[in-house]
Amino acid sequence: MKKFYLITLFLVAIGIVSLGFTNNQSDEKHPDVDWSIGCQDCHAEETPDIYKAWENSSHGMVNFGCYICHGDGEVTFYSQGSDATCGGCHAGQLVEFEKTKFNSCYDCHNGHTLKFHNE
Amino acid sequence: MSLSRRDFLRASALAAAATTLGIGSVFNNKVLAKAGIDKEQFIQDSRGVKWHKSVCRLCGVGCGVMLGVKDGKPFGIRGDKENTINEGLLCVKGFYLNKMISAKNRLLYPMIRKNGKLTRATWDEALDLVATKFSEIRDTHGSDALAFYGSGQAETEETYVANKLFKGHIGTNNVEGNPRLCMASAVGGYISTFGADEPVGTYDDIEKCDMFLLIGSNTAEAHPVLYDRLVKRKKRNPNVKVVIIDPRKTPTNKIADLHLQVIPGYDLAIVNAIAKLLIDNGHTDEQFIKDSVNFSDGKNPITYDDYKKFLKKYTPEYAAEQCGVSPEDIKKAAKLFGEVPRVMTMWCMGVNQRVAGVFLNNLIHNLHLLTGKIGKDGCDSFSLTGQPNACGGVREGGGLSHLLPGHRVVANAQHRKEIAELWNVSPDKIQPKPGKHTVAMFDALGKDIKGMYVLCTNPAQSLPNLSKYLKGMEDAFLVVAESFHPTETTQLADVILPAAFWGEKEGVYGCTERRSQHMAQALQPMGEARWDGFILADLAKRMGYKENFEHFTSAEAIWSEYIKSTKGKDMDLTGAPYSRLKEVRGLRWPVPSVDHPGTTHRFTKGDPYFPEDKAAGRRMYFYTKPDGRAVIYARPDKGPEEKTSKEYPIALTTGRILEQWHTMTMTGQVPELVRAAPEPYVEINPDDAKDLGLSTRDKVRMVTKRGSLIVEAKVIDRPRKGTIFVPWHWPESLTNILTIDAVDPGSKEPEYKVAACRLEKV
Repeated sequence: MKKFYLITLFLVAIGIVSLGFTNNQSDEKHPDVDWSIGCQDCHAEETPDIYKAWENSSHGMVNFGCYICHGDGEVTFYSQGSDATCGGCHAGQLVEFEKTKFNSCYDCHNGHTLKFHNE
Repeated sequence: MSLSRRDFLRASALAAAATTLGIGSVFNNKVLAKAGIDKEQFIQDSRGVKWHKSVCRLCGVGCGVMLGVKDGKPFGIRGDKENTINEGLLCVKGFYLNKMISAKNRLLYPMIRKNGKLTRATWDEALDLVATKFSEIRDTHGSDALAFYGSGQAETEETYVANKLFKGHIGTNNVEGNPRLCMASAVGGYISTFGADEPVGTYDDIEKCDMFLLIGSNTAEAHPVLYDRLVKRKKRNPNVKVVIIDPRKTPTNKIADLHLQVIPGYDLAIVNAIAKLLIDNGHTDEQFIKDSVNFSDGKNPITYDDYKKFLKKYTPEYAAEQCGVSPEDIKKAAKLFGEVPRVMTMWCMGVNQRVAGVFLNNLIHNLHLLTGKIGKDGCDSFSLTGQPNACGGVREGGGLSHLLPGHRVVANAQHRKEIAELWNVSPDKIQPKPGKHTVAMFDALGKDIKGMYVLCTNPAQSLPNLSKYLKGMEDAFLVVAESFHPTETTQLADVILPAAFWGEKEGVYGCTERRSQHMAQALQPMGEARWDGFILADLAKRMGYKENFEHFTSAEAIWSEYIKSTKGKDMDLTGAPYSRLKEVRGLRWPVPSVDHPGTTHRFTKGDPYFPEDKAAGRRMYFYTKPDGRAVIYARPDKGPEEKTSKEYPIALTTGRILEQWHTMTMTGQVPELVRAAPEPYVEINPDDAKDLGLSTRDKVRMVTKRGSLIVEAKVIDRPRKGTIFVPWHWPESLTNILTIDAVDPGSKEPEYKVAACRLEKV
């Protein structure tokens, strides 16, 4: 385990030196679970309503998995996705928020169904 | 110090969390407001991030991506909204491309095996050793004692240099590439039916299509962005139908209207039955058949009536019995195919990786030729490609043992003469006899073949019946040019050469729809890595071929020489020089001049080579056939090489999952992707699991005549009863120990998709 943390520290150091910026750090924690099970396999049983909402959404239709918005869960975990993540794929549908009364994709879109909140 | 892959990924993920490389910082509303790319080949945003136009490194769809670079480091990735293939969308794998560039398993310096151990070396030491050993082998054992094994992931320029070196200078046609393992049957089908490789239509047909027939293609996982286009097409037009022929219920079934869940290896009978029903139901285009079609039994010409007699056997009932589906479903599929105006059939490895792969390709083309549903909007028989440049580099560039650049073959004296002239060598330097195909090449490795150069691929994991070929790789002098280490293959190598990775090099990829796209160099190669094109040219110089390689000082210089070979050919790219490719999101050949827009449908009006005079009013003229007619083949149904038996009662089929790609050298380094399916597994039908007393996560041993493997069971109603599905990605669980290396007699592509197996609960 000591070896693991040394490696981690080393990689963190390389990352900070080479990239020179930090952003979006998350101190949220996903419950410690059996990490050998994939997110979908577990959440289909543990959080069936959320799983169903996702499965029936446009993301579910194309199998865009939990990890895209929430991180790998074990080390990086974000309870809510970020606009930055949306923009990676939806480059063709970017919104200039400064021209709207909204601040985030999630102001309108539910994170799992992706529908507008009032739908 | 050893570290398990899981520990390493955890460590990498922690580092990534701390520094938030990539997606966390790329969002900026104004980044891509400009439609074009400036002369320096990037768009710079307000934060100083330079966004370079490129093409995805992974599957064959050819999605446009923008690679963000700041301070010389990869900053982020996003879809290229100006690219009409994906309009800004990315799949889950492409989404993490930037993380793959800086993956911790990048190979940073050359290594030479000394006393059994790979040891750091200089470039001069490594390349001198390769040049000396290859020259010794050539001089002692002859040119054919050397071989090159390339990749559908290499750039066209890289494959071109390798081809020129090995076929034109060393003088061996032992030049192969991994597209032999995935696309060769599609090539055989296109050439035998139409006289030329690659599809008639393009992706543009998707948005005009009324019915998609998907055969042996899990589009949702293997070609996700294309699948997204199908989803959108169906969502906007609910009358659009999707019919699937596949042994497995896959995620693609989410859009299926009808699924014919066949027994693996027996679907030829279904396609023949659909052909028969199209004729019986009066759904054929008799004028088109009269104008543009010949018939053949594979050896001799036959008549339309002969073909109808051949089809008599293929009643829906016969096909249903062969394939394990209902005759009613076959009738429904045929009725739909016949009734809707526009049909696209798409297929992938489930068709190609079969001993009857070419036959099945022919049978699919038959359906479109019978109905005339080809060469017009919304219609095509359209093969999907697994690698980003299998079409561009290997199929068009001639990177297989029987091919030469520009859709030429070594067996044709005129073709050899033309290429020898381009390469500035004597025509007799290029051998007229094809070299060994991939499976035969690896069979000869360590025996007749003494030295091999492997570029950008991982045969020690990806070859079928793997155990049989590992010793040859150990025994021969094996050189591997790779961006990553260790892989199963680099661990067997005598010399490993660090290759620049995607983003660190310039070049062209040609995707599934005949579109060639330029990729900018956005980064300097990591460590001491060099571009494969330069490594090969350097090796050529050290082997004494300086004169014909010293002008290869840039990727553009190589591309410019290559496209000369395409002038006047059906795949004319002379209108696609770098100066033009840098400005556009690719061009679809034939594109014979710099003012030509490219071609959406071949062999018809709009194709610059369509001969109006010869066509004489006919809608299509297949000018790559002597009389302008495509061929409908009477191909009998043929089962798999290895049929199930009492001892091996289960059909084993292999494939991919959405989040991983090939041998995981790239995608296996992304913690988020690994999270989706952390462990190797086998999908088992609930009925089979019940018989064996198996539950999900139980360990199960899969046994074939070639070996056995223990993985976790995933009991799921996806494979049909009597069939298991095993993803082949994990290097710690080599699925190909189990697969069979029987090949299609025409294409020489192995039958990865069907093997007989038994299961044992552990």
